[in-house]
Amino acid sequence: MTTTRWHFASVVTLVAAMAVVSLSACGAEDGPGDDGAAPAEPYRIGAVLSLSGTYAGLGEPEKNTIEMEVERINEAGGVNGRPIEVIIVDDATDAETAVAVTTRLIEQDEVIALIGATGTGATMAMRQEVDRAGIPQVSIAGGTVITADFHPLVFQTAWSNSLVVPFTLRYLEGKGVSKVAIIADSGGFGADGAAVIKDVIGTTSLELVAEEAFNPGDADMTGQLTKIKSSGAEAVLMWNAGREAATVAKNMAALDIGIPLIGSHGNARVEFIDGAGDAAEDFVFAAGKVLVPEAYAPGSDEQVVATDFIERYTERYGVAPDTFAGHAYDGLYLVVEAMKRLPEEFTAEELRDEIESTNGFVGIGGVFTFSPTDHNGLSDDDLVMYRVSGGVWTLEK
Amino acid sequence: MGERTIDIRTVAVLALVGALVFAVPLLTADRYLLKVLTFVGINVIIITGMALLFGYAGQVSLGHAAFYGIGAYTSAYVVTSLGWPWLGGVALAVAVTSVGGLLLALPSLRLKGHYLAMATLGFGEIMRVVFVEARGITGGPDGFSGIPFASVGGLAIDSAGANYWLIWGVAAAMLALAANLVRSRAGRAMRALHGSELGALACGIDLTGLKVRVFVISAALAGLAGALYAHVVGFISPSTFSLHASVVLVAMAVLGGTRSLAGPVLAAALLTLIPFADAVIPGLSRSALETIQEWQEDIYGLTIIAVLLFVPGGVAGALRRLSRVGRRWG
Repeated sequence: MTTTRWHFASVVTLVAAMAVVSLSACGAEDGPGDDGAAPAEPYRIGAVLSLSGTYAGLGEPEKNTIEMEVERINEAGGVNGRPIEVIIVDDATDAETAVAVTTRLIEQDEVIALIGATGTGATMAMRQEVDRAGIPQVSIAGGTVITADFHPLVFQTAWSNSLVVPFTLRYLEGKGVSKVAIIADSGGFGADGAAVIKDVIGTTSLELVAEEAFNPGDADMTGQLTKIKSSGAEAVLMWNAGREAATVAKNMAALDIGIPLIGSHGNARVEFIDGAGDAAEDFVFAAGKVLVPEAYAPGSDEQVVATDFIERYTERYGVAPDTFAGHAYDGLYLVVEAMKRLPEEFTAEELRDEIESTNGFVGIGGVFTFSPTDHNGLSDDDLVMYRVSGGVWTLEK
Repeated sequence: MGERTIDIRTVAVLALVGALVFAVPLLTADRYLLKVLTFVGINVIIITGMALLFGYAGQVSLGHAAFYGIGAYTSAYVVTSLGWPWLGGVALAVAVTSVGGLLLALPSLRLKGHYLAMATLGFGEIMRVVFVEARGITGGPDGFSGIPFASVGGLAIDSAGANYWLIWGVAAAMLALAANLVRSRAGRAMRALHGSELGALACGIDLTGLKVRVFVISAALAGLAGALYAHVVGFISPSTFSLHASVVLVAMAVLGGTRSLAGPVLAAALLTLIPFADAVIPGLSRSALETIQEWQEDIYGLTIIAVLLFVPGGVAGALRRLSRVGRRWG
């Protein structure tokens, strides 16, 4: 059949054309030096953020923060007399894309450090590339696995569940609660939190009497909450970072369970209060101090840094920064401050060592002190309990 | 000239393209480009199976990302956690997905049209939950990390160029096998099935047996691609094997067109390259790339609508028309 034959021949020609195009692409690779006559070559840092996909809502404030802070750093003279350039790329909340764009940052942009990714999955996916390139990565995602599955090149700025869970359980103990129920989403953050709760609850005086789960996107948790109601629990511990949290709060109010709902730093978003309305009243959760700057000790370095950041961010973008903006701020400055402590020329290994030697860096998420075994660097002192009261966050104690 | 013979010109062009594709790592050291083209190769392996299933046998599956995932987790688990050799992991992945495909095909393929699509959709969702919940094996939502590179004996395939050769070598072999298959008696039977189930039945074709076999082959190819993917990237998580991935695979098959292998292969390459346009288009600015990435889903959707409206038969149809023009000139 001639058609079939020709058909194949033309396809083959097209494939050939494609291959030629892709090859000519690499020829054009070595000519990026024509953008103005900058006196000093900038330090290039890569940032892998989720600007589209499920975590787009987190990536946006992170991008805003990095752009704002990079301008500020460069206006103040840059680092070691050289400007910095942060190349922000979108991983589309997808592991494969994260790997490809990371390769591009390393190979084509020759970045000296990576910030990101926004999500835990993408952060873990980047590890092979980071490992091979030997450059430090400061993740701004919250998964426990990022630093629990330790890698010398990988740091983390978000409070991990292994820090927040014990803090929250101690609060419950202090309130005289003895029986608790968990309701968590089956997605990454919720499942991770539920696993940590089950791991550490044995070390407390608390007893776990019910464990329920829901899927991201579920619109009704009445069934799970009815079971919890009959379990004799004295408090409901919810672990979830999505908008389902508001549904849980509303369902609890509708069922009139009459026991407190305790959440996590995943609920530190205005969307939760807006979504749950009256049901958000008296909702308690642990998070960093950035939500209510008075949480910082008055006159402390932390308060000065946070208030300044909140003011500048609010002025520029018209909304107050959330905790995710804070994680990006910390990621950027952990790298930049380490660079400032080094001479103008340094290797990736020296930069990694310098980040690891960070001691008492005052960021938005807390005060970071890394060590060769702790790459999260935060402590209980950086957390406070909040209570929603009158539709706003207030300090709880 | 019969269907089984391939003329000398085709052989020459195929050899030329093959040589070009395999020469890429010799001509460039750009690991980003090689990585992106490796992803294209992996999708080519899956789409080869989808082309047989959808393009030749006319069956729609919305669950192939699940087979892709089963293959990836199987090999990742036995190689990383149990210390199997890489080849053993890949072989087991193919075996497991073949059996999985068979188990799903036997009851489901008695269903026709939309009902089969629904059954595979359900299967995909079930597997997504399994990937998340079977933490002991899959690592749960955090994913499975630290998967080693492919290695045969003491030889590790650990450079971007070597991985590129590995993937495209497998892709070429699978394409050659599929091209052989569609020229055979089974291939003609598949086309008859696509044309009219009743007609095919009247010709004495064992419909169920044929559908099951094609489904198993496509599942095994997806599993093979998954196993290769796991070792190329070194990390897998449930989000890679979601319904979204299944839909993109169907989109590649639809865009590629029916009764063709080359059409779907080109469509797979095209859709895979869209978000990485800067790897293949020299001098594409970063802002242009950002715009493309922002509109990626819309570009997918609009491309498919445009193809259905203006280019019936997809890439394959366009190629056929092109070849008719070419023949007049030749």
